[in-house]
Amino acid sequence: MTRLQIPIQSTTLKNGLRVVIAPDATAPVVTIGVYYKIGFRLEPQGRSGFAHLFEHMMFQGSENAAKMQHIKLINSSGGLLNGSTMYDVTNYYEAVPSNALERVLWLEADRMRALKVDDENLRNQRDVVKEEVRVNVLNQPYGGFPWLDMPPVAFRNWANAHNFYGDFADLDAASLADVQKFFRTYYVPNNAVLLLLGDVKPEEGFALAEKYFAPIPAGAAPPFADAQEPPQTEERRGHVEEKFGTLPAMAIGYVLPARRTPEWFAMALLDQALHGGRAGRIHRELVLEKQIAVEADGGIEDLFGYNGPAQMTTRILHKPEYSAEATLAAFDAVIREVRENGISEDELQQLAVKWRSDYFSTLEGGRGGYMPRYGLMHLLACFTLFDNEPQLVNTILEGFLEVKGEEVQRAAQKYLRPENRAIVFRTPVKSDAKEAA
Amino acid sequence: MATREVEVPTLAPALTPERPVTWPNRTRARLANGLEVVLAEAHSIPKFHGELYFRAGNALVVDAPSLAEMTATVLRTGTAKRASRQIEEDLRRLGADLGTSAGQDTSAISFAGLSEFAEPILQLVNELAREASFPEAEFERERRQKLEEVKLERASPGFLAGERLRKVLFGAHPYAQVSPSDEQVAAYQREDLQSVYQEIYTPENALLMLVGDFDSQTLLRTIEAVFADWTGKKPTSKEPAAPPKPRARRVYLVHNPGSVQTQILAGCHAITRKHPDWLRLGLTNSLYGGAFNSRLVMNIREDKGYTYSPRSGVLPLRQHGYFSVSAAVRNDVVAASLTEIFYEIDRLRSLPVPSAELADAQNYLTGVFSMGLATQEGLLSQFSTVELNELPADYLETYREKIRALTPEDLLATARKYFDSANMQIVVVGDRAQIEEQAGLFGELEVYDNQGKRAE
Repeated sequence: MTRLQIPIQSTTLKNGLRVVIAPDATAPVVTIGVYYKIGFRLEPQGRSGFAHLFEHMMFQGSENAAKMQHIKLINSSGGLLNGSTMYDVTNYYEAVPSNALERVLWLEADRMRALKVDDENLRNQRDVVKEEVRVNVLNQPYGGFPWLDMPPVAFRNWANAHNFYGDFADLDAASLADVQKFFRTYYVPNNAVLLLLGDVKPEEGFALAEKYFAPIPAGAAPPFADAQEPPQTEERRGHVEEKFGTLPAMAIGYVLPARRTPEWFAMALLDQALHGGRAGRIHRELVLEKQIAVEADGGIEDLFGYNGPAQMTTRILHKPEYSAEATLAAFDAVIREVRENGISEDELQQLAVKWRSDYFSTLEGGRGGYMPRYGLMHLLACFTLFDNEPQLVNTILEGFLEVKGEEVQRAAQKYLRPENRAIVFRTPVKSDAKEAA
Repeated sequence: MATREVEVPTLAPALTPERPVTWPNRTRARLANGLEVVLAEAHSIPKFHGELYFRAGNALVVDAPSLAEMTATVLRTGTAKRASRQIEEDLRRLGADLGTSAGQDTSAISFAGLSEFAEPILQLVNELAREASFPEAEFERERRQKLEEVKLERASPGFLAGERLRKVLFGAHPYAQVSPSDEQVAAYQREDLQSVYQEIYTPENALLMLVGDFDSQTLLRTIEAVFADWTGKKPTSKEPAAPPKPRARRVYLVHNPGSVQTQILAGCHAITRKHPDWLRLGLTNSLYGGAFNSRLVMNIREDKGYTYSPRSGVLPLRQHGYFSVSAAVRNDVVAASLTEIFYEIDRLRSLPVPSAELADAQNYLTGVFSMGLATQEGLLSQFSTVELNELPADYLETYREKIRALTPEDLLATARKYFDSANMQIVVVGDRAQIEEQAGLFGELEVYDNQGKRAE
């Protein structure tokens, strides 16, 4: 069986900034990432959508690189850049020809040290974010389904249950003082990791990291609100109107085991058994065999990237001639089957091979056809910020390959229960769909 | 605000000397049956990525849009030796992903998998290319599935905009059809798929490309063993209708009730990738709206906040290419956005680009061009572009120097030639009552409903 060993070196600067380097000189390209351990889950109450709005502000200028300079300096160096806000982390990343490494580090350090934005920048980006929400959610069929629909149904703690893209009233209420406070609280070197991947020599990378980031003073350890959920004792259901789409839809989410527990490894393989493309049990039964659904997919969205309550979520668009109850019954039959009979040794072996193959692709893979090594960067960042152990990238695969068939069945029995799930029905306003359950 | 007081460098560090960009060698072969093979080694992970391309797609069948795509969809559902479920489980057993698809000009079986299973994966690809059985029940399911999909896509503003622009630019040419109507899907016959399959999926019409962790010579021998006894001729090409040449700006409003935003898409005819002006048009587009740092994005996003994701591009189909610019904007700034879109086009047509801005755009394109070097998929995509468009063998190696040689005068001439401002066709998808008056300011107006029917 082939293996993959990624060379990884890491250190911590005096101000608490973690630095992780994974050198590979195959191509003259280097990927640089800065991850901050704050996402939309723990953004301030009354300020839904703020973590994401703030991410936009990080491109609006810092003390020595004014608005538009960040983007211009990266693009004109031959590079690409972006950022994204997730549940528990926010990232900023660039892929550039390796001769631009020092320039990128200067830029990232400048905005970590001294973000410099004004009311005009904030107004501008508030408008941009509203158009982002419209284009991705409000003006799209099934926009935000289920990632925005599910949390308020599934969870009770505001941290997990609010609108992560933001209510427009909350976005309007966000002030420059909020931006300043959020920056001072969470965007401190001791709450971040810097990642350098690709064409960089480790000793050179560490020296440059020291040169540009060491002068940034550490901040107070950020406070993190408690994101724990009260125990769930019954199935939860919710309904959302679908304004544009023609097909009735539903999403079923089961809460996951805590990360890196034996059950979590088993759950990941169970997820592959259920959602692994056309061979996955749910697609096979609902789309190919029973032909109730037009789409049936989903699963655990970012297995390594969450640090609080999360779900494995199935997303189904079904034919209007089937009722929601009939569709759900077909889904439940798939769940019942795996709970009662588990998976065969042959299926387990298929899952393990596919898991290994997918994991290699994750490590190599870019994002959207560009941004080389995005996957490796993301895993290294999460293993550093959540586990303080970047080398997990090289060892965690074993945990998945060692999962036994009976562990998969036990995970199904323990986690795929009605009292551990929530269901959202998204029903077209104008359709001949039968009444939802 | 929020400054932490320390001594830091205040100027952006200069770029250090560049490392050379080297593309991996390609091993080429042509089997006796006509199958072309291109292999390139990339040892980043113990996997490989491949494409078996066929040089014909939806445009081959004029009267049945997307029939080649339907053929591709159904062909993975059964072969002489394996049923659908067997195929999917075997793929998983081999750690493989596989997709079948067709665009206007090509059909493809795309695959990736673990290097240790290269041979059985290639055998499965071979089986799909030669022995697909098009089981009746699978065909019927996929056809019913497609009926739901063609209804569903009409809910997407991006689809509605693209569909209308293609009709306007391509008229009776098959490129006008981005998707079938439900009547057309209902009329699909299993036998039609089989005859498309017989015609398109032949070794003389095919190109097999693989990039990954393998030894090229060993893999070539495997490929010869697997594909050698396959036979078949190139399909006969047909002369399609010439596309119209729309003159003067016209506006096509697609009424999408309840829209809370307007999708703008404007375009005009341009060129294919084989055209000698392709690189200069690419650079001009990059400067206009093809990059984050482009004029259009800086204007209507970073300065005015009208939109989240404005962009422009040149779409090169094999016979024709077209230039287009798109933005999803707030309903009350439709006219304001169009004004800026044309302002930036007209500025590029009127004034030479300052040399510093040109250098930035040249650096951008040449740098991003090398990003594909780092992944197997990136390499495969670049090599495919060269092969499928029959570009010169040194295209990748000379791209950077050719881009760097372009001057402000070249760009001015290119913008004047291809950014056909006066004759751009403008599609707006949104709520008619909120945008009709604004849209009508830019040309004679035609209104359509979201089913594609002309409205009063």
